[in-house]
Amino acid sequence: MLDVQKVKQRIAELRKLPGIAPKSISEILEENGFTRRDFLKWSGALAVTLGLPASFAPVVAEAAEVSDRLPVVWLHLAECTGCSESLLRTDAPTIDDLIFNYINLQYHDTIMAAAGWQAEENYEDALEKFKGRYVLCVEGGVPTKDGGEYLTIGPHAETGLHKLKRTAKDAAAIIAVGTCSSFGGIQAAAPNPTGAKGIHKVLNKQVINVPGCPPSAKNIVGTIVYVILFGQLPAVDNFNRPKFAYGLRIHDLCERRGHFDAGEFVEEFGSEEAMNGFCLYKKGCKGPYTFNNCSRERFNQHTSWPVQAGHGCIGCSEPDFWDSMAPYEEPLANHKFSSVSADATADKVGITILTVAGVAIAAHAAISAIKNPKE
Amino acid sequence: MKITKKIITKIEGEATLKIHKKNNIIEFAEIEFWQYRGMEEFLKNRPYMDACVINPRICGICGHSHLIATSKAIEDALDVKITKKAEILRDITLGLEIIQNHIKWFYLTLYPSVKSKDYFKALEFTKEISKIIALIAGQFPHNSYSIPGGVTCDLTNLELIKIKNYLSELFNKYQHIMDIEGKSNDLEELFSDIPKTTGKGLNRFLVLGDNLFFKSNGDVKYIKEEKSTSLNKNVMYKDKYFEVGPLARNLDNKIIKKIYETFTDSVYTRIFARLYEVNLIFLYLLEIIDNIEINEKNYTKPLKKSGKGIGVVEAPRGSLIHEIEIENGFVKKYNIIVPTQFNLSNSTKENPSPAQSALMNEDEKLSDFIFKCFDICAVCVSH
Repeated sequence: MLDVQKVKQRIAELRKLPGIAPKSISEILEENGFTRRDFLKWSGALAVTLGLPASFAPVVAEAAEVSDRLPVVWLHLAECTGCSESLLRTDAPTIDDLIFNYINLQYHDTIMAAAGWQAEENYEDALEKFKGRYVLCVEGGVPTKDGGEYLTIGPHAETGLHKLKRTAKDAAAIIAVGTCSSFGGIQAAAPNPTGAKGIHKVLNKQVINVPGCPPSAKNIVGTIVYVILFGQLPAVDNFNRPKFAYGLRIHDLCERRGHFDAGEFVEEFGSEEAMNGFCLYKKGCKGPYTFNNCSRERFNQHTSWPVQAGHGCIGCSEPDFWDSMAPYEEPLANHKFSSVSADATADKVGITILTVAGVAIAAHAAISAIKNPKE
Repeated sequence: MKITKKIITKIEGEATLKIHKKNNIIEFAEIEFWQYRGMEEFLKNRPYMDACVINPRICGICGHSHLIATSKAIEDALDVKITKKAEILRDITLGLEIIQNHIKWFYLTLYPSVKSKDYFKALEFTKEISKIIALIAGQFPHNSYSIPGGVTCDLTNLELIKIKNYLSELFNKYQHIMDIEGKSNDLEELFSDIPKTTGKGLNRFLVLGDNLFFKSNGDVKYIKEEKSTSLNKNVMYKDKYFEVGPLARNLDNKIIKKIYETFTDSVYTRIFARLYEVNLIFLYLLEIIDNIEINEKNYTKPLKKSGKGIGVVEAPRGSLIHEIEIENGFVKKYNIIVPTQFNLSNSTKENPSPAQSALMNEDEKLSDFIFKCFDICAVCVSH
């Protein structure tokens, strides 16, 4: 169970280690116009996101303060850098990105200052110096076909596969950031020409998956802070996703849910129903099958999310969604799923990838769709 | 002569430069990209609407340009004409993507190759700009609000006022980075020890897209793609290499033209054009946002089921081309040509590509900087 005393002990231990940041987090925040009060508010919000009791807020603040003691190594594999981009535009509260700047990021291809040979040297140094202590964040799937030669990194043309295995060996925790590193992502879509896979498939260590294309920055930072707080990985579901972020379906807290229950659907883009903000299920929304917190947290500082902009959820935090959720503009319930067996509907395939509760919702969705009084 | 291998990082991936040099002066450089993902392969035999969801994932930096190029290619194939309102909304989001890309590139990618600079300056902008894009498109990066036939969102007047307000605030703020006269302290500081005539390209420019205020000066039918020595493909126009990007498409601007006439197509001119383009786009967006007819339709349904089409947009890094062949609603063939392919083709010493030409006869120390002035995107190349 959650034990505040244990966490405090851990933080006290971390505090004894040398930090790398030249200034304390309070000084950095102050310089950037944040007050102590803002910081505690942020800690409270993060504690809530992580599913911790309110009493944990001050401890979250303490964890953030010692976050420069725990080195983070960020590895890019076959990907589009969208996850890092998402992180660079962190959600509100905006303190997230300051914290991330403060986290001891030993190696990050896009935001570190060093480049080329020097970057490679920093990398090797970090692995040696922080052996067994660093948190490894991986962005991107790992190509495995032909020995992994569809991705080579660095001056020695090392394959992504080799570099990943080598780095993972001495990591204290491994976090797969985004759908690509969690489940293979777009590279792994049929016919998967490069044999791309999620990193847990090639490692024999526990990997925590933070899927999404891209995942919200809050989920990324939240997972890292959790590891700092407890020195262990957060509670996860059957796909190793942290429950604090992936515990509920998009559908559960969707703003268009009322229309779904009332059988009010958008049948065509640009129609009057679309203007009225009706449910997008019939335009292919995969919200009922997708576990994530987009409908609660939204993106870009809580500004909006795809469903608000009138496009259905594509199910991007589910395994193999590029194949299992396609076509993206058609509902799963009435689509024949051609690749598995000709007469199995996607819902049946859905059953294999969802929990029991998920199936209940899918059935509910299908029935509501049939019962639609407007038809 | 000596050949050294140099790895260029921080370009959303990696490139390998094989530098042929004599006394540290570059005689010739080979450019190689060693990543491949196979995006065009996934698209085959899928419903064409899937392309709108898959293609933004080509790149996390300029995914929006890929989305709009996809929509345009399908519209061309199925003979759909979109409404003025949809067109303006697309211009706004794509324009904003270009702006945030340029600012981020300047502070995060280019600056660190010479000296260090606080990158929070860039993040301040990108965060706010993503917020405006999110108001229209739902989220940034990676969204699917643009569909063949128009857009899915339906903005209210209040949202339009919000967007306008954000735009003018950001425009004012940008004046501290580069003002409307073209004065920029950060840019001058960057060039304090580097001659402004460094890194001359080919002096041949190509613009193929016609979104925003850009005017096309060529025809896509003369484009030819060719195998290269690495996993990249070379791209030529009428059998010649051309430079694409902000300098190419803004040469008719008075202030940029003056810089160009003084320093020709050097690294400095290229960077200047890119930074100044931000001002031009801000002004253009502030102008067109007033033309939105809020009651106009945002979507026109495509009626045809088959066809061939090409979609070209001016993306942050230059002309981006998507070609599609649709048969009965399914994708039969898809081809993507990205701007980095134009600028960074790997050719010969006698007939170099723009980036190769810029590197030749320069000090090896500056190779990283000259290379990055083209704003390279390795993930786009590795599609």
